[in-house]
Amino acid sequence: MDAFLPVGILFICALLLCVGLFTVKRLLGPRNPVASKLSVYECGVKPEGNARAPFKTGFYLIAVLFLLFDVEAAFFFPWALVYKESLAQGPGLLIAMLVYMGLLVLGLVYIFRKDCLKLN
Amino acid sequence: MDWMDLIVTAVKTIVIYLGMVQVVPIMLIVERRGAALIQDRPGPNRVGPFGLFQPIADVIKMMMKEVAVPKQVNKALYILGPFLVLFPASLVIAALPFGDFFTLFDKNYILQVANIDVGILYILAIGSLGIYGILFGGWASNNKFSLIGAMRSSSQIISYEIPLGLAACSAVLWYGTFSLREMVTGQEGTILSVLPNWGIFYQPLGFLLFFVAAFAETNRLPFDLPESEAELVAGFHTEYGPMDFGTFFMAEYMNMATMSGLMVSIYFGGWHLPWISDATLLQWLGSRNLVALIQVLTAVTKIAFFMLVFVWVRWTIPRFRFDQLMRLAWKNLIPLGLINLVITALVLYFKGAA
Repeated sequence: MDAFLPVGILFICALLLCVGLFTVKRLLGPRNPVASKLSVYECGVKPEGNARAPFKTGFYLIAVLFLLFDVEAAFFFPWALVYKESLAQGPGLLIAMLVYMGLLVLGLVYIFRKDCLKLN
Repeated sequence: MDWMDLIVTAVKTIVIYLGMVQVVPIMLIVERRGAALIQDRPGPNRVGPFGLFQPIADVIKMMMKEVAVPKQVNKALYILGPFLVLFPASLVIAALPFGDFFTLFDKNYILQVANIDVGILYILAIGSLGIYGILFGGWASNNKFSLIGAMRSSSQIISYEIPLGLAACSAVLWYGTFSLREMVTGQEGTILSVLPNWGIFYQPLGFLLFFVAAFAETNRLPFDLPESEAELVAGFHTEYGPMDFGTFFMAEYMNMATMSGLMVSIYFGGWHLPWISDATLLQWLGSRNLVALIQVLTAVTKIAFFMLVFVWVRWTIPRFRFDQLMRLAWKNLIPLGLINLVITALVLYFKGAA
């Protein structure tokens, strides 16, 4: 636990910086609200419609793919840590990982074939 | 841990943190003057000698400007946005090592905020929290430009997180540890007394992947799609006032410093001087604390070099198109990351078998 105590101190420092910036901004800046100043900024043209509109599903798909691949990539980390020590016991861990990676590559190829990353 | 330890640790943490915050004003002037140098114009040179006080003037200007919260925003998330980006950017520096240790009152203190044994995982985990700030800020602004900027930003950052993680994973595989401190310690000495024993000579492909992904993670220019001022006004911070913009910028520069620190620690030997071992240094200087000073200066110089590279690349390479960006991540970087992992594993296997 001792190792993480300085992180706690850093946490407080970061919090103080955020609060400080917020207060300085509030205290020093003048206030002079005008209707046109508080409206949506669309390059000076009259705002059209609302931004709470549906967006491209492509972005959603990327998020889903990221979840899959990042979770799968996360499994590499514990393997990477113990790999060097396990070398003495033969190539078992290497082969297991190559099989797992083969499955991952199959998934990647499937994504490319289905053209999941088409955003334009 | 007694009171003395606690005070020294707290002072050390605060000094390191303030040092990291100083990156922001320094980078402000370096970036503007660097841009001017590359574009063959004088740049800001009026405030103080050589325009060195320009960052102070910039910050004062930002602070004195009006805070206008637009009417259409979701107020809580809008206000929280910039701080949610800055906060993780401040926290990640905890795992960066700047030197071996210094001695004070017959006790050794490491030159690092905290010796976290899962350093790399900590940085990857906390560092990627910043995306929530961008997404919240962009969505809560209720502006089309902000929304598109935030969507682009989130898909870009999550896409480049995978090659970044794979490159870091190869490094973990090579060194056999998660701790950045142990990685740096493992890079002491030379390869056949010709080259310094740095990670880049063992993981060249990994470094390349890490380098490219670092630019995308920090939203820097070849990949600054979230902002892309020519198409999206200012991207996710279109509706934000000057000080909020400043907060986003602070976070960006601190993230750049963290990424540079990571690259230096994993691939460029951290605090080690090339060809000169710590033992030799100690022999020359005679004092532990002098050696620590040299180590910190070495690490900071290396980090500063990478910060310069960030600026240099920003004003040299034009922006990617969004589909090119996604194609680069998924079709090139991720397969290359997997190949790098396999090569590293095979090399380690045959090295171990021989």
